[in-house]
Amino acid sequence: MRRRTFVSALGTGVVVSLAGCTGDDDGSENGNGSNGNGDGGNGNGNGGNGNGDTETPTETPTENGDDGMENGEDDGATTNGEESTLTVGTYSAFLDAPSISPGEWLKEEFESTVDATLKWDAPENEVNHYIERQLAGEGSGADMYVGLNVDQLVRVDDELDDALFAEAGDVAGRDQVKPGLSFDPDGRAIPYDTGYICPVYDGTAIEAPETFDGLLDEEYRGDLITQDPAASATGRAFLLHTVHQYGADGYLDYWADLQDNDVRVLGSWSDAYGAWSEGEAPMVVSYSTDQVFAAGNDANLEKHQIRFLDDEGYANPEGMALFSDANEPDLAREFMGFVLQPEIQGEIAERNVQFPATDNAELSPDYDELAHEPPEPVTFTYEELQGSISEWIEDWERQFAQQ
Amino acid sequence: MSGSRTGNGSSPSSSRPAADGGSRQQPRARTDGGSQQRSRSRTDGGPATPAGTVADGERRSRSLRNRVERRALAVLGATAVALLVGMFYYPVATVFVEAVVVDGAATLSVFVEILRDPFYFGELARLFAGESPLSVAGDLLSPDRRLGIVGFTAYQAALSTVASVALGLPAAYVLARYEFPGRQTLRSLTILPFVLPSIMVAVGFVAAFGRNGPINAALGLVGLGPIEWLFSLKAIVLAHAFYNAPLVARLTTAAWESVDASAVETARSLGAGPRRAFLDVVAPQLYPAVLMSAALTFVFTFGTFPIVLALGDFSLATVEVFVYRLIQDLDYAEAAGLAVVELVISLSILYAYLRYEARQSAAARGARPLPRKPLRPPSLSIRDLLPRLGIAVYAAIAVVVFLVPIASMLQASVTDAGGVTLDHYRFLVERQAGGAAFQVQPWPAIRNSLLFGAAALAVALPMGVIVAVLTTRSYRGRKLVDAVAMAPLSVSGIVVGLGLLRGLVFGTEIGSVEIAITGAVAIVAAHAVAGYPFVVRTVAPGLERLDPQLLESARALGASRVRALLDVELPLVWPGVVAGAAFAFAISIGEFSATVILATGADQFTMPIAIERFIGRRLGPATAMGVVLLVVTSVSFVVIDRLGGEHRGL
Repeated sequence: MRRRTFVSALGTGVVVSLAGCTGDDDGSENGNGSNGNGDGGNGNGNGGNGNGDTETPTETPTENGDDGMENGEDDGATTNGEESTLTVGTYSAFLDAPSISPGEWLKEEFESTVDATLKWDAPENEVNHYIERQLAGEGSGADMYVGLNVDQLVRVDDELDDALFAEAGDVAGRDQVKPGLSFDPDGRAIPYDTGYICPVYDGTAIEAPETFDGLLDEEYRGDLITQDPAASATGRAFLLHTVHQYGADGYLDYWADLQDNDVRVLGSWSDAYGAWSEGEAPMVVSYSTDQVFAAGNDANLEKHQIRFLDDEGYANPEGMALFSDANEPDLAREFMGFVLQPEIQGEIAERNVQFPATDNAELSPDYDELAHEPPEPVTFTYEELQGSISEWIEDWERQFAQQ
Repeated sequence: MSGSRTGNGSSPSSSRPAADGGSRQQPRARTDGGSQQRSRSRTDGGPATPAGTVADGERRSRSLRNRVERRALAVLGATAVALLVGMFYYPVATVFVEAVVVDGAATLSVFVEILRDPFYFGELARLFAGESPLSVAGDLLSPDRRLGIVGFTAYQAALSTVASVALGLPAAYVLARYEFPGRQTLRSLTILPFVLPSIMVAVGFVAAFGRNGPINAALGLVGLGPIEWLFSLKAIVLAHAFYNAPLVARLTTAAWESVDASAVETARSLGAGPRRAFLDVVAPQLYPAVLMSAALTFVFTFGTFPIVLALGDFSLATVEVFVYRLIQDLDYAEAAGLAVVELVISLSILYAYLRYEARQSAAARGARPLPRKPLRPPSLSIRDLLPRLGIAVYAAIAVVVFLVPIASMLQASVTDAGGVTLDHYRFLVERQAGGAAFQVQPWPAIRNSLLFGAAALAVALPMGVIVAVLTTRSYRGRKLVDAVAMAPLSVSGIVVGLGLLRGLVFGTEIGSVEIAITGAVAIVAAHAVAGYPFVVRTVAPGLERLDPQLLESARALGASRVRALLDVELPLVWPGVVAGAAFAFAISIGEFSATVILATGADQFTMPIAIERFIGRRLGPATAMGVVLLVVTSVSFVVIDRLGGEHRGL
């Protein structure tokens, strides 16, 4: 990758940068940025970097750190006496959404235990943003990502020739992660929580069916709302659950029957849940932690019943992973270890309204009572999804939306 | 960019008569290029001002001013083009190129595949695949023909256009022809639906038209219903009408108000009945406005996205749904190919309209608008009562389509499972008071929206006027240029977002200099580019209708082209300028995808982004923020119209 330095223009944000400033004009288009090591390219605050510009970098200092990890060197300790900054990418709901955003708390806790600053970054396109950056020859601009799904990891590996994420390495507490949740065969992504997706129903209106087949009964005509698998994690999980249940050869037939029984497939989770809340249908695909919110709003819990079809819930573990061009890999590992600590695990789960990923997490009894775990969690592994998930979704789209 | 939320956007209308290809009226001696030169030689050869009584210094400063003004048009024009290229065409091209360059080789295979895919093109795909047109035509007529996604998208857009026009025209009639208290405010507020994020419209519509909603409750009281429109094509079409009927109404109102009363009076004095006079005199002056708003509505609803899946169902998915999914999956070739197909169809519609507009005969703008009638019937005669009865029926429909959903949004913002609550607003206050730097806060979002809106307006207005001037000149293919200048209205918002990320945020290398553009300035520029087409569409028709002798006289008296524009032309087309300003501002307020990508941090986010970010596992806080947007923009629109001088008509 071409090294570049971002200089200038704070307020307006017009960033002009000069490529090839320190003598690597055209030569190092490819690869490992090996000639970037000489001038401490990964350092913090090396804004000048040969351009003679006096302005401060607007981008994070990690911007010019495409070097480093590839060379196997451990650059993590280059704090030079300054407090180091850990830049963590995530999805916006982790930071912003009312009632499900542990980001702020996590930052405070981490900074109070470690002599470092945590900088959150929530690009609109989530992981795709970092894939785009890599495709464009930019560095990732961050040290790690929090909130990675298995299907996103599959996409990352499909699209990029060079690794976006690095093997996590030695992270404290890693052994405590529940075996069923680890979804990365290459050991890059470490799960930190999981959700279970299943229908939520209004028990005052219906008694939900026990099985997937039951959803096809005339009795439940028009009763289920789910979401577009391309636009919503819950919709995708539900579709994958049907593939898991009926096999790649049978799920389309099941969906044909489901469509005949007037299932509604709306766009986002909020579209679907909003319609369900207004009583447009008695069942909606959502999270098995639904009662936690209901109790928080003094709602009638009878209206927020959970049904694990065939006693199963589809697990959607969220992972964290280190970018391969991270400036602060050690700090990132420290953060991952921090997140896996029992009391932090319990707190993240409750704040994110999910379940912890480790087997020794500390959950409050109240929470445990309202958040339901399925008797049999199911999910697809990385290997099973690789090369298949796109096709499954596309085949489903082409059947469901045929005009 | 506007497309990100729904198809909304809009623009005023009117006709754009012109002297190109085969139009009827030529005597337009449109020689802008030439006249500019003429005037140059004239002024350069010494001021043609009376006598040497003018002091030297004054003369010098005037000639300096003249020189600046003479160049101003060229400079502004070049700036506008540079902005368009930098903020739109180039970024979009970085995505579109993926459709024609696959693995480093130029190819049309992506298009061929899309065109031949029955999933996208239905029966037509067979035509593209080389089957006989006759057999395809035969199957197209059969009842179980396949439309394909593209065909269906066009079909729902056509229905939405019809619904928007049907709902918009009566509103234009009332607003243009009747006087009643609050008329001006009502007209200012017609633009409001335009800025509403789809999540708000979804909340409002589901609550309003749902099984347990007020409309079904009311129908139940009179023994009717229930209607089950949600999650069907009906709901989608109705929501599209909610967004776009106001556009039709506003543009047509403007055209109606500029009909000259004396023309109607002449027709009547020559023996024409009221119906005849309307059909022969008034209607021809309304057609261009109606058709323009219809064309724009089609384009916006053709590119519709989130609202389709919020109120419809995935079985009603449109092209843009697939563009979104393909880009999510990083399947850029097919996504870009599909987006190009979408663009070609949209631009063809706009181009067809512009050709039509060019054939319209120039009609002088009314010096004296038709007098408004009082809404309260002056007598109890059938003639007075019947139209007002019709208005009452229409008002009832308008209440159902526009007011009840908006009222439902308000209601949703103050209710939760436990009943009435102010918790959602309390959340906004708490987030404002205690939010972290990386979180979106309500007040900065409001402030940014207004600042970006005002700044974008300040850029879009001159830009739109300049482009209007340039496209009303006479040269070959100018309608094509005009259509291409409208592209920001018709390119997939998702594609624009990705293009901005690639072309601006990541930067471009020019020589050895890398230029990356983000932040507030970039956001304003992107908003201006998204909004300026409305200014063009509202200003150009007026400019074209002006008597060319006005301009020529001004120039002959030594006024520079810019001076003539500012002092002579713009005042005469001022209502169009104000209408364009309102729409450009609305586009900026509602813009989402470009803003979120170009912002360098949460402190640059705007109200629509705050709404999206406040969606948690309950919708209350987002809805409360949506109501804030509703109130802030309502006030802004009233202010814009008042500042713009509503008395002038538009």
